[in-house]
Formats: sequence, structure tokens, C-alpha cells
Amino acid sequence: MKVTFPHMGNAWIVIQTLFESLNVEVVVPPANSKRTLTLGTKLSPESACLPLKLNLGNYIEVADKGADTIVITGGIGPCRFGYYGEMERQILRDAGYDYEVVILEPPDGSLLGLFKRIRYLAGTNNSWAQILKAMRFAYRKSVALDRVEDLIHAARPRLPQQMETEKLYEDATSRLAQTMTDKGLQETVRWVQESIRERLQEAQRTSEGLRDPLRIGIIGEIYTILDPYTSGDVEQYLGRLGVEVDRSIYLSGWTGNHVFQGLAPGYRSIRSYPRHAKPYLPHFVGGHGQETVGAAVKFAREGFDGIIQIFPLSCMPEIVAASVLPQVQQAYKVPIMTLIVDEHTGQAGVQTRLEAFVDLLERANLQGTIGKKRGEVLSVGGR
Amino acid sequence: MKIGFPRALYYFDYFPFWAGFFHRLGIELVTSPPTHRQIMEQGLKKASDETCLPLKLMAGHIQALQDVDAIFLPRMVSVEENTYNCPKFLGIPESLLPAVPPEMPVLSVVLNWRKGKRQVLKDLLHFGVQLGKSKAEIRKAFIEGQEWQNRYQDSKGAGWDFEDSLREIEDARKGLTLSQRAVESGSIPSISVRANDSNRLRISLIGHSYLTLESYANLNILQRLREKAEVTLTEHVNREDVKVHLLGMRKKLFWSHAKQIFGSGNKFVKDPQIDGIIYLSCFGCGTDSMVQELLARIAREQHKPYMVVTLDEHSGEAGLVTRLEAFLDMVERRKIHEGNVSAYGECLDRDSNTL
Repeated sequence: MKVTFPHMGNAWIVIQTLFESLNVEVVVPPANSKRTLTLGTKLSPESACLPLKLNLGNYIEVADKGADTIVITGGIGPCRFGYYGEMERQILRDAGYDYEVVILEPPDGSLLGLFKRIRYLAGTNNSWAQILKAMRFAYRKSVALDRVEDLIHAARPRLPQQMETEKLYEDATSRLAQTMTDKGLQETVRWVQESIRERLQEAQRTSEGLRDPLRIGIIGEIYTILDPYTSGDVEQYLGRLGVEVDRSIYLSGWTGNHVFQGLAPGYRSIRSYPRHAKPYLPHFVGGHGQETVGAAVKFAREGFDGIIQIFPLSCMPEIVAASVLPQVQQAYKVPIMTLIVDEHTGQAGVQTRLEAFVDLLERANLQGTIGKKRGEVLSVGGR
Repeated sequence: MKIGFPRALYYFDYFPFWAGFFHRLGIELVTSPPTHRQIMEQGLKKASDETCLPLKLMAGHIQALQDVDAIFLPRMVSVEENTYNCPKFLGIPESLLPAVPPEMPVLSVVLNWRKGKRQVLKDLLHFGVQLGKSKAEIRKAFIEGQEWQNRYQDSKGAGWDFEDSLREIEDARKGLTLSQRAVESGSIPSISVRANDSNRLRISLIGHSYLTLESYANLNILQRLREKAEVTLTEHVNREDVKVHLLGMRKKLFWSHAKQIFGSGNKFVKDPQIDGIIYLSCFGCGTDSMVQELLARIAREQHKPYMVVTLDEHSGEAGLVTRLEAFLDMVERRKIHEGNVSAYGECLDRDSNTL
């Protein structure tokens, strides 16, 4: 058995760790790319949402590397993602790919069924204690990954050498991917912190000092905000524009809430969001719709300069959130932009919109200092 | 007190419950007029761009409600065990508040059958007390509402078989409307019954009730089809049949509408009497994107002609008519030639399901 799984940002590092510490052979699909999307789109129903198309692309790309079992999480709605596993199984079977699909969920609410599926994946050589241990280590790794990612978010706008920051991020993730000890995790995080500190001091010595960057909160559908390929590298691009980015959901926050059923908080707990969302959307709407609204409120309260919501075309929960967000925007006077992505999204288009949005935010900041606004229409001609 | 109920979205399935409920409470429930051009235009202005056509229509209908004391927008989370409604149902009323005229109060209550009858009753009691009704009255109203709903749902499938004319179902519906004035017959387009001609094509039109029965938005597709063929709808399949045809799925569907559509669609695919299936969907429908693919697979396996019509606010009449005609011509030709057409190109058009 060779296990594979769909990509979602850095999730592959965690999933790979989990299976490797259980001595299960795992094949990581090539990173999401144009090719992945093209392959996936060919097989997908046209109106399915973007993650399904990318997932299928992942499976096809990994098929010739010998993978024969797909692992994917499930759910019982109301978001479409809950039906992905079964949908993908049928599509792949019809397309001639002989995959076994294991959906990690309690089938018809039976926990025993879930344990059976886990046992099937883990094989007979692993005890439950080992499985639990592996899961907990994988979880700790995801927290470390999220910490590194957040450090990089803060470092991008502040450090002068942008490519070096990206390199630091790449090195750190590959170090995290390889380490199998807690010590390794801690050391990598510390190493990133140290490197950033050194570079900051260097930057302060050489240039006019630190810039105080704008802050933008990224909210929206989990796949699109966690996966840089899908969102057109929004976070990296904003960082290059000199914006500090924060994100509503991190990988460990999601696993803490869904896999460990709230027993582990994750790097950024998503548990407080429904409370924040209450005045605007008091009921959950599936997916992370309510969390999106709650995160927007939270970011607005924390004084973020702007908020960007990203979701795949036709995502049902996020559409509900998007139709509620104008009220948050009005209440907190914080600009919110919505970016909808699908297989036709071009990077240049996204970048243009981001630049325009950042310009807008910067101008709003400037206005306070200059204290001069544009006058009447007729005063323009008189200049 | 007069409460407005928009004639859109859940009106087509769950209105009888609310009609019965409010009837018993002595509150007048007023519905908006059937969709017309202005309602649609108003809806497009106020609803968010990304949402689907039925919700945009809903926004229009909310604005069309006049002379009412409040607008009733229930949050229909779930109507049966282990299922949900579409997430967009869960976001009502908040997502539609921009469409509500200023100063107009909105009444809302959560209806969630997932947590069982007790929770539903508890929510309704809480809601009813706010309206100044006694708990005993509300309990009775709840039972009455359920009765109306059950009668309505039973009338849908009752006595239906392919020999019978569609009139019977119409009568059953009218019988309901006569005894209970509140259930208006206007929502279901009246049809002219023709002599049962065995040569007529039998087409089944499946999809969400708020699309197949919404004759303005679907450009009168039902009437157009009925002129040329016998038409059966998702609603004509009774609940037991739906249940039977949902068996054998590796993973259960978790949306109630989707279950109904897939169950009845599955029945139609397997039914040799049905000559073709038209799936009426709307742009951006999340549940349809899955169900229509699942059905397409079965239809392909069974070599059943299958077409998906996607509606949005820009749908043009001419385009729809052309597609319908082409589909019906194809089905008819296939019926005569028994589908013995050269297999050339079969693999090329795997998405069209023509043969």
C-alpha cells in the first residue's frame, strides 16, 4: 500500500510525518501547479469548486509514482467538501485510475468505523498508543510550521532582502519536514527567530530604520488561504508590497478543532470566532463561513488596516459570509476586499487588485498626516 | 397582525408548514405576488453578486412584500434527520437583510430537525411567545403546521403512476388549496391535460423545486416541455421511492434537497418508461455541482439521454428553446432508431450523454 493525499499548503509536511512515523509508505504529490489544475479540471464537473479540481490533479500526477490509496478527511455537511472523497473516488474510477479512497470520518456516525479505517491505513504493526503518539507529534509539527509561517509574515515587510526572506522560509520548512524530534522542531523555530533578529539589526544599522508596515488580515475559505498556489501567492505578494499579513485560520488551528475535536487549540485557535461573529451571523453556515465573519470582526477590532476575503468561485458558506461582511465593513470602517479564485484566475489580475487595494489603504493612512482632502469638483479646474 | 412570506426559495417546499402554523395562531400570512420582471430586477440590485439566482429572487420578493407588519424569514437549518439544507439557507436572514426595506421588522426562527422534535418545538415556543401567543396555542399550531405539511407532501406522490394523467396531482394539490385557502395554487403552473398518447415522449425534469416550479425564472420550461412531452418532476416521486433509490450509496448525501433530487433522478434513470432526463440547475449551485455529476454517471451507464440546463439571470428564451428542441428531437430519434447509431465519437462527447 502506498498512501497519497491531496495538497493544501504546508499540510503535506504534517501528513507525510504522520505516515512516516507509522512506517506507512507515503507518496507526496508534486506541488500544485498549472499542470495539476489543468489535469484536474479536465475530469471535474465544471461547476465544482476549485479545491476538488486541484485534488484530482494531485491524484493524477501521483498515479504514475505508484500511489494506490488516497486519504482524505470527510464530513457531513453542509459544505460540499464532505462529499469530496466519494465524488473523487467515482471520478477517478471512471477515468481509469485504480485508487482505494479512505475517507477519515465516522461513517454514519460510527466511531468504530473510523477506527477500522485508521487501522486499515496504519497496518497491523502499530499499536493504538503508537498511532496516537504519531498524531500528537504531527500536530506539534503543524504548530511549529504555523509559528514559522507567522514569523515570515511579519518578516517579509520589514526585512530589506526579500528573496532572502523567502529562502529562509523555504529552508525552515524543509528543515521542519525532515526533523522527527521535538528538539528539532524547537530548534528550527528558534533558528528562524534568530535569523530574523540578526537581519533586522543589520537592516537597522544600514538603512533609515524600520518601516511601520500596513496590516492586512486574510480571511476566507481554508483551502484557498492556506494554499499559496490557489490564492496566487497573495501573502507573499502583499509582503513584498510592504504589508504585514495575518491569517484567520492556520493549519494547526484547523486540525486542533476538527481532528482533535477542540482538545488542542492549535497555533491560532478558531474557537473564539463564532463569538465575534454573533452580532452579524449568529448561526453556523457550514465550512468556515461563520469563522470568516468572526475573524473579520476580530481583525477590525485589533485595528487592522484592511481585510481580504478569498474563496473559490461558488463556495456556499463563504458567499453567505461575503454578503454579511459589508455590515462589518460599515460598523468598523475597515475596507474589505473579496477575491474569488477559480481555474481561470490569473496572477497578474490578482496582483493588480492587491496593489490597488494597498494603495488605497496607504492613502487612507496618509490623509491623516497631511490633513488635506480633495475639495469640490469645481475647485479642480481652478488649480 | 399581518406577516409577509416571500414567494421564493423555501416557499415551494415548506410553505404549508408555516401557513398551518400561523393559521392556527390567528396570524395572517401574506405572500408576495408570483415573480415578474420587476421583482427579479429589484432582487438583482439588492442581493450580493456571488449568490445564486433563487436567493436573488428571494431578495426581490422581500422587497415586493407590501402592507405587512413584518417579514418572516425563517432559518431552515434542517428539515429531517441527518441532513442539512444548503448553507445559503442557513445564512438567512442575515445574508438577505440588505434587501429588507428600512424600518421593516424581520421575524426569524431557527428550524433544526437534526436535533430532534424537542429542539424544534423549543425554538418555536420561544419564537411564538415573542409574538404574544400562549405555549398551548403554539404547540397546537406546531401540530397543525406539520399536518398541513404532511398532507402537502403526501399529495405530491399520491396515486402517481405513468398511466395517470398529471391532472390528478393537480387536483390533489387543488384539493389541498380549497380546504386550506392559504396554500395558493398560483405557484404551480396549471397544465392542459392531453389524451394519454403512448407515442408522446416521457421526459423527467429534475432539480430544486424553487427552480422547476418557478415559472418566471425558468422561462416556463415546464409548460414548454409539456406541450411536447409528458413531464414528471422530482416532486412526483414519493418519499419511499426516493428512499429506496438512495440505497447502495457508499456515502450518504447530507442535503435534503439533494437527496430528493438524486433519489428521484436515480429512479428516472432506471425507469425504462422515461425517455430522457433534464436536470434544471442554476449557476453557482453548490449542491447541484455534485449531484448533477453523480446522476450524469448513472445516466451514462444506463445510456439514458441526460441534459443539464443551467439558469441564471441572463438566461435567454431563444437559447433555452433551441436546446430543448434539440434534446427532444434527439430523444425522439433515439426512440425510433433504438439508439443504434454508429459508436463513432462516443468517447469524444463523454460529457454530453447523448447516446
